[in-house]
Amino acid sequence: MKRLFENCLRARIMRKYLQVIRITFQEYFVYRLNFIFWRLRAFIQLLVLYFLWLAVIPQGTTIFGYDQAKILTYILGTSIIRSFILSSRSVDVAGEVSSGVLSNFLLKPINYLGRWLAKDIPDKILNLFFSIIGVSLILIFLRPPIIIQNNPLIIFLTIITIILGMILFFYLSFSLSLSAFWTPENVWPPRFLAMIIIEFLAGSLFPLDILPAGVFKTLKLLPFTYLLFFPLNVYLGKLTLQEIFIGIFISLFWILVFWQLAKALFRLGVKSYVAWGR
Amino acid sequence: MKVFKKYLKVWLKLTALAFSIDLSNRFTAIFAITGKVIRFLFFLGFLFLLVGRTETLAGYDLYQVVFFFLTFNLIDILIQFFLRGVYYFRGLIVSGDFDLVLVKPINPLFRSLFQRTDAYDFLTFIALIVYMIIFIATGNLVITPLGVILYLVLIISSFILGLAFHIGFLAFGILTTEIENIVWIYRDLSSMGRIPIDVYREPLRTFLTVVVPVAVIVTFPAKALMGLLSWQWVVFSLVMSGLFLFVSLRFWKYALTQYSSASS
Repeated sequence: MKRLFENCLRARIMRKYLQVIRITFQEYFVYRLNFIFWRLRAFIQLLVLYFLWLAVIPQGTTIFGYDQAKILTYILGTSIIRSFILSSRSVDVAGEVSSGVLSNFLLKPINYLGRWLAKDIPDKILNLFFSIIGVSLILIFLRPPIIIQNNPLIIFLTIITIILGMILFFYLSFSLSLSAFWTPENVWPPRFLAMIIIEFLAGSLFPLDILPAGVFKTLKLLPFTYLLFFPLNVYLGKLTLQEIFIGIFISLFWILVFWQLAKALFRLGVKSYVAWGR
Repeated sequence: MKVFKKYLKVWLKLTALAFSIDLSNRFTAIFAITGKVIRFLFFLGFLFLLVGRTETLAGYDLYQVVFFFLTFNLIDILIQFFLRGVYYFRGLIVSGDFDLVLVKPINPLFRSLFQRTDAYDFLTFIALIVYMIIFIATGNLVITPLGVILYLVLIISSFILGLAFHIGFLAFGILTTEIENIVWIYRDLSSMGRIPIDVYREPLRTFLTVVVPVAVIVTFPAKALMGLLSWQWVVFSLVMSGLFLFVSLRFWKYALTQYSSASS
């Protein structure tokens, strides 16, 4: 009887989050043009990098240990995984805090962090879908040489590292947004600066291992490397199993750090929250 | 002359107000300026790393590639510094406050374009100019007096082209209330000029020269300074600027006739 009750409770909780996912999907379809423009921008950014690297590494040459197929796979792959790893609705948390909308959710029987995790699901699905369309257009019309990974273990490990990257970025982004508790009038500047650093150090512009060895060694200890560069390097088969497991361990460490940081900041923030204008 | 003085006075007043707003919050100012500088340094470092190893990019050496990037930044910052007001235009339209602009004894297009000057970009502009002077003085670019004159003329021409695009965005904003995204798409397209346009393949290169003339805006001035641009392309650039400005002004006039004064 107790077990049945627990199962019902769990199902009711899940229903709540499913409802959040459904509503977020509907929100996207209200602002369709906005979303299309957003994806068009991502496609243009991809084209810049694609042509740059195509010019830098002509067919038959190898620079920084990358031939044309490897680098183009890296750039196109980054574009796909970036669309769902570095996209998180948690960017809007700051707005809710600074406008006082947060009060509504503090009164509701829903976990605030869980709600934002649920909101991320449709965001990532839609971004992934449109990103695949963008990359497919390049594959169809420009026919670049790319590497198709066929080792099931490597593919499995790539998926694991991508999931870890998503979780890591969620907590990182959520923590950044919580700065709104202390600087409600200045929510965008810290994020603007942080995103420039994160995107660059994650390897969105180029593979990080082309940097001088000392710099790259340091970057491997930071969390950003595990957002884009690490999953792509796993996919390209450039790492040994040992290196992959060390990378996964470091990712888990940073997830733990940012998870605890997000929780602590939220707890502290709610204590100093005054809900202006509400 | 009297009209010019009047508008200059208005612009100076608007700029003074914008500077006091932007610099009143030191926290925002520090983060925003640091972000812009870091973004610039990251890409510059990337170019040094990349072309330093490959020695050339689409036939250009490291100094030339970096100069293309510096010119891109110069034009981008100039446009952002003067025309930041375009980003605030949607607010005027959706709130109906554009009515208040229309009834004032000042050209509504001038007011909409120049309503906000970007103080942060002024500071980064100064830093960029200093760096460009040092770079040209210490680099191995071959520069002639004619090249310098053409460079300055084409920078002005590029600004006029950028202005034409922004007038078009305002008109588009009146018709659709959608403006921010289209500005960002323009900025993404113009960011293709961070590297020499010769890197891109056809038909993209033609698209970036004729349809969305990023090449004309960004690449041509740098090529002119280095003596790599024929006079036909200089004329083409000036004609394009005039043509785009003419079309954008017509579009603006048409859009004004469609303004329906929302919410008021």
